[in-house]
Amino acid sequence: MTTTEQTPRLPFSRGNALEIAPDYEALRRQAPVSRVLTPAGDPAWLITSYEEAKEVFRDKRFGRSHPAPEQASRISYAAVQDGPSGDFESEEREHKRMRRMLAPAFSAPRMRALGDRIAELTDRCLDDLQAARDADPGAPVDLTDFLAFPLPVLVICELLGVPYEDREKFRGLSERIAMMDGGEDAQAAMTEFKAYMTELAEAKRADPQPDVISDMVAVQADDPTFTDDDLARMGAGLLFAGHETTSTRIAMGTLFLLTDTARRDRFAADPEGQVAQTVEEILRLTATSGTGLLRYAHEDVEVAGIRITRGDAVLISSDAANRDEAVFADPDEFDPDRTPNVHLAFGTGAHVCIGANLARTELRTVFPKLFRRFPGLRLAVGIDEIGVRTNRVAGGVDRVPVEW
Amino acid sequence: MKITTDTASCVASGQCVLLAPGTFDQDEETGTVVLLTGEPAAGEEEAVRQAELTCPAAAIRLTGS
Ligand code: SF4
Repeated sequence: MTTTEQTPRLPFSRGNALEIAPDYEALRRQAPVSRVLTPAGDPAWLITSYEEAKEVFRDKRFGRSHPAPEQASRISYAAVQDGPSGDFESEEREHKRMRRMLAPAFSAPRMRALGDRIAELTDRCLDDLQAARDADPGAPVDLTDFLAFPLPVLVICELLGVPYEDREKFRGLSERIAMMDGGEDAQAAMTEFKAYMTELAEAKRADPQPDVISDMVAVQADDPTFTDDDLARMGAGLLFAGHETTSTRIAMGTLFLLTDTARRDRFAADPEGQVAQTVEEILRLTATSGTGLLRYAHEDVEVAGIRITRGDAVLISSDAANRDEAVFADPDEFDPDRTPNVHLAFGTGAHVCIGANLARTELRTVFPKLFRRFPGLRLAVGIDEIGVRTNRVAGGVDRVPVEW
Repeated sequence: MKITTDTASCVASGQCVLLAPGTFDQDEETGTVVLLTGEPAAGEEEAVRQAELTCPAAAIRLTGS
């Protein structure tokens, strides 16, 4: 029997921004599925191996809702990924409706159409980066302020039809809902965020535009079971997810490329030719939240010989699965030549990240442009001086100070 | 190599289109996969194999070599 004292508690600490916690590998060596405590202190299963992660992502017997939500393990005191969400009886139906509603907006044809606009917005961000450098040539510039944060926000604003002028408002709200120890403040921020979305939906109802919020409003007109609260929650979720996650990838991708000059030079010599593979490797290696993605067992399920009981919380660590040496040779090495590179950065199965195409389009635009324009870009501080955000659901780093 | 797709299980993730845009597309309305050709488009053989592996819904099947 494992006693509470011996059960490891998330999040595990890691050496620096580019590494993952060594505890993941230690656990995986023992078993693909381990017993852990969540940051909130409740019991959960943690999946650290690739095959089992994939299996659970694809298994319909796991969902985001819980048969008895008040008894469910809590993950954290944030207002996202903190515990069960949705209704146990209707989860699958709801999920299908959401995918059907959103799929066209995130599809490849729409992404192709959005591509030029993303390129234009990236150029604008790079101009701002240069201007910041020119204003104070001696000082490093923080790439998160001028590129990693604003670009994904500009793009998701366009796609959803959210005014960019409101960014400080929803940046603040996004930060507050995602604080793992946010508690009441996180819940208050979620309420405010939904109110903001409800107001926006009102405006689209009166004056529809070619954007996702208008699409949602149109769906709602035909389907009264899609409530105002559903719409607000989904809109806030998309806006939140659209800016935290891609932002982290741009920051971390830059760090991966800059911490090894040979790697940077190799990429800068042929950015367009290397970008697709390089982006996949960035996606594979970027460690995000310290918890992984949350599911609850909807029935008793056996995974790798371990019996998971109905209602148990399961955390799937894509960070750990993506560095499983059973699937990826030298898993901690940054190797853009890896092929195939079927990582689980976006999950897989029916719940696979709907924004995967959008994220890839952004990342494939950003890195070539950045290194075409600044081939001699370098990191202004050592990697160990870059703080990792352990208290945030989407993880990320504090800053990426660069010079050139 | 012959390609078949299962639109019923497709979750409209568009990975296939991003990998092999000459072979796959997505329906504008539903987002589900549209097979442009029954065999990989020129130069996309490797990309189509990758798409089969990457498809989150296992909705792409390859037969023959
Ligand atoms: S990769 Fe698979 S799930 Fe995604 S669009 Fe193509 S066939 Fe559908």
